Amino acid sequence: MKRYGIILAGALLALRLGASCAMAQDTNTLELIKQLQHRIDELEQKVKTLEGAKPPPPPATNDAAEKQRLEQLDQQVKILQHQRELDDEAAQARASVAPKISVGDQGFSFASANGNFGVQFKGVLQIDSRTFFDDAGITGNDSFLLRRARPVLQGTVFRDFDFLFVPDFGGTGGAQIFDAYLNYRYNDALQLQAGKFKGPVGLEQLQADRDLLFNERALPTGLVPNRDIGFELHGDLLGGVATYAAGIFNGVGDARLSNNADFEDDKAFMGRLMFQPFKKSAAPALQGFGFGVAGSFEDIQGTNTAALPSTTGGSLPGYATVGQQQFFAYNPTNAAVVASGEHWRVSPQGYYYFGPFGLLGEYVISNQRVSRIGTAPFDSRRLQNTGWEVTGSWVLTGEDATYGSVIPRRNFDPRQHAWGALQLVARFSRLDIDHSVFPFFADPATSARSAQEWSVGLNWYLNRNVKVMTSFSHTTFQGGGGSGSSAPALVTREAENALFTRVQLAF
Amino acid sequence: MKSFLTALTVLALSSVWTNAKEITLLNVSYDPTRELYQDVNAAFAKFWQAKTGDQLNIQQSHGGSGKQARSVIDGLGADVVTLALAYDIDAIAEKSHLLPPDWQKRLPDNSSPYTSTIVFLVRKGNPKGIKDWDDLVKPGVSVITPNPKTSGGARWNYLAAWGYGLKKFDRSEAKALAFVASLFKNVPILDSGARGATTTFVQRGIGDVLIAWENEALLSLQEFAKGDFELIAPSSSILAEPPVAWVDKVVNRRGTSEVAEAYLRFLYTPEGQELAAKHFYRPRLDSVALKHAATFPKINLFTIDELFGGWQKAQKTHFSEGGIFDQLQQANR
Repeated sequence: MKRYGIILAGALLALRLGASCAMAQDTNTLELIKQLQHRIDELEQKVKTLEGAKPPPPPATNDAAEKQRLEQLDQQVKILQHQRELDDEAAQARASVAPKISVGDQGFSFASANGNFGVQFKGVLQIDSRTFFDDAGITGNDSFLLRRARPVLQGTVFRDFDFLFVPDFGGTGGAQIFDAYLNYRYNDALQLQAGKFKGPVGLEQLQADRDLLFNERALPTGLVPNRDIGFELHGDLLGGVATYAAGIFNGVGDARLSNNADFEDDKAFMGRLMFQPFKKSAAPALQGFGFGVAGSFEDIQGTNTAALPSTTGGSLPGYATVGQQQFFAYNPTNAAVVASGEHWRVSPQGYYYFGPFGLLGEYVISNQRVSRIGTAPFDSRRLQNTGWEVTGSWVLTGEDATYGSVIPRRNFDPRQHAWGALQLVARFSRLDIDHSVFPFFADPATSARSAQEWSVGLNWYLNRNVKVMTSFSHTTFQGGGGSGSSAPALVTREAENALFTRVQLAF
Repeated sequence: MKSFLTALTVLALSSVWTNAKEITLLNVSYDPTRELYQDVNAAFAKFWQAKTGDQLNIQQSHGGSGKQARSVIDGLGADVVTLALAYDIDAIAEKSHLLPPDWQKRLPDNSSPYTSTIVFLVRKGNPKGIKDWDDLVKPGVSVITPNPKTSGGARWNYLAAWGYGLKKFDRSEAKALAFVASLFKNVPILDSGARGATTTFVQRGIGDVLIAWENEALLSLQEFAKGDFELIAPSSSILAEPPVAWVDKVVNRRGTSEVAEAYLRFLYTPEGQELAAKHFYRPRLDSVALKHAATFPKINLFTIDELFGGWQKAQKTHFSEGGIFDQLQQANR
């Protein structure tokens, strides 16, 4: 079109000039025509050049090749999608058999994919301080103390077999094995445990060491067995409404921890039955109520001192305060006391937890035949020592109180203005010694015939693992307090006033 | 007299019904047998109840034959196993001692109540012109077959291809290897079981040809519009003999030995054989086989004993860790 426009313009120009040339009719006209012709030729050439620079029109589309290509791409996409699904299935299959490893507030654990095998590493570390006031000049009892330092190894093998191993490197008794047992779990209602573990008698004794409300347990816990070695059948019935335990053990004296072997042939029977009758009721206020009874029986045929109470706080068997200072000892003048014959215990006990409020109480009777040997008058007598306690708690920050630990709603983090949980605790306890123990089995001048204690404290749960405790205990005595430069005389001379603190790590 | 006999019959029946038990059996099977055992279980349960009064509940587990065998070895409490190949049941016997090593002799026909073979399933119109095994190694042909490491059917597929290669190349193992290697180069994806591979081909639309159990191929033609797929019978293929067995230690512990054995023997009865044929398994019973002859294409069949010296040898050579299949896969990466 452009070409034709130019030619037309040239033609019109030529016509115009031609008309002019006709009028001029001289030799210059011919020259001019030649120039115009030359100009037209140049223009034509330019048009041809412009036409030559245009792109060629596109070729016709190959539909069949495109369709094949699309099909190939479609196949590849489908293959990739399906391969991803197969890879996901394979990954899930691998994950289902891969061991599980976890690290958290429950400790470090490894478990097989199906849960039939697992090991957990946990621990308890308690750093205490004790400060005694007006203690009649007793030395060496104000102390920082590594109260418990226990690595805990527990686990499961072949789904139904649980084990626990707990050595203790704290305290003053040197390293020793506290717990070491295997438990076969047929189901929740029927389990068999064998090894070294707490005898099923004392309610506060059975509370985990990490969950105690005070640094030290109350006075009646001095009458129940600590850890012993034996076999125990136990379980939860009716979904935990009832709990039972019945076992046969070597037998240990009050508050004693068993050595790794028995000291005589006879065995002790221990048992316990607890009920939470309203555990499944619709009334939350009743669900946390529990009560029961526990007891033990042993008939020692020989005579020995190992079946007498623990020597905590002294050098002879006896009973100690919450400050772990001996206030009573089997210490007759120029004679010795041994256990011989029957020893039975019975303990009605109960607890109640509702919201932030907790209450725990127990009454313990320890009735034991003892004999005086060495120096006359030789005597053998059944002595009945009793104790009871009531412990109350209130979680000021509103979390639930339980037989176990308090779990803060918000862990301690000052940057988030979160402070953990705070719990107020109070306790009253008493231990009465059978009066007929005096004077042939114990010296009334040095040993008290009863001790009574009240304690108040504040527990701060920073998170599930860290707890700080502080409490004050006041213990008074009836009897004792005579001359003597060691326990129990020194201890019973004045009331025991002790300030306890604890920093605890438990996981 | 009549009233006495009636009373006696009522007494006998009531005693049967009074003593009627509820029995559960677990049949651990390979991937494609779902429909077969659905019918077999219903029929046998009815038969057993009529015979003994006991109520029978047969539960099924399906998956790749190798995977299923491993599950049983690992503790899955199967009363019976009905797997794709004898080697998988041999593995259960050897590794877990749940049944004796000579289990295969306990039932007729080497404990295989039905047989099958390996064929091809192609798309409507057979666009890639698949006629025989040679067409599967051509470039541009996408072949679907499951993973021989997990699927019994896949191992039959592989050996069928290898067997064809041996026949074609005068029993040259090297050439058969090259042939099968070329075939697996054309396999874009490996499902874990035969049913998974069928689903990949038929429902997902992946691949040009599916190497399949004959029964799977015929079932696919029946289930989906017949015109969408075509069955291609190769010139030769392998005779697949899926075996069945009761698991002694499990049935003895559970007290189900009598019913478990009866259940497997039921597969050999005319009713059991008819159900096998209905689900496109080649029946053993001549009368039933003759009746359903038209269903099954005529193919030259070779056995695993003939070309491979039996399953133990074939498994060790081809499918064990580091075997020929592993080497092929490594080379194809």
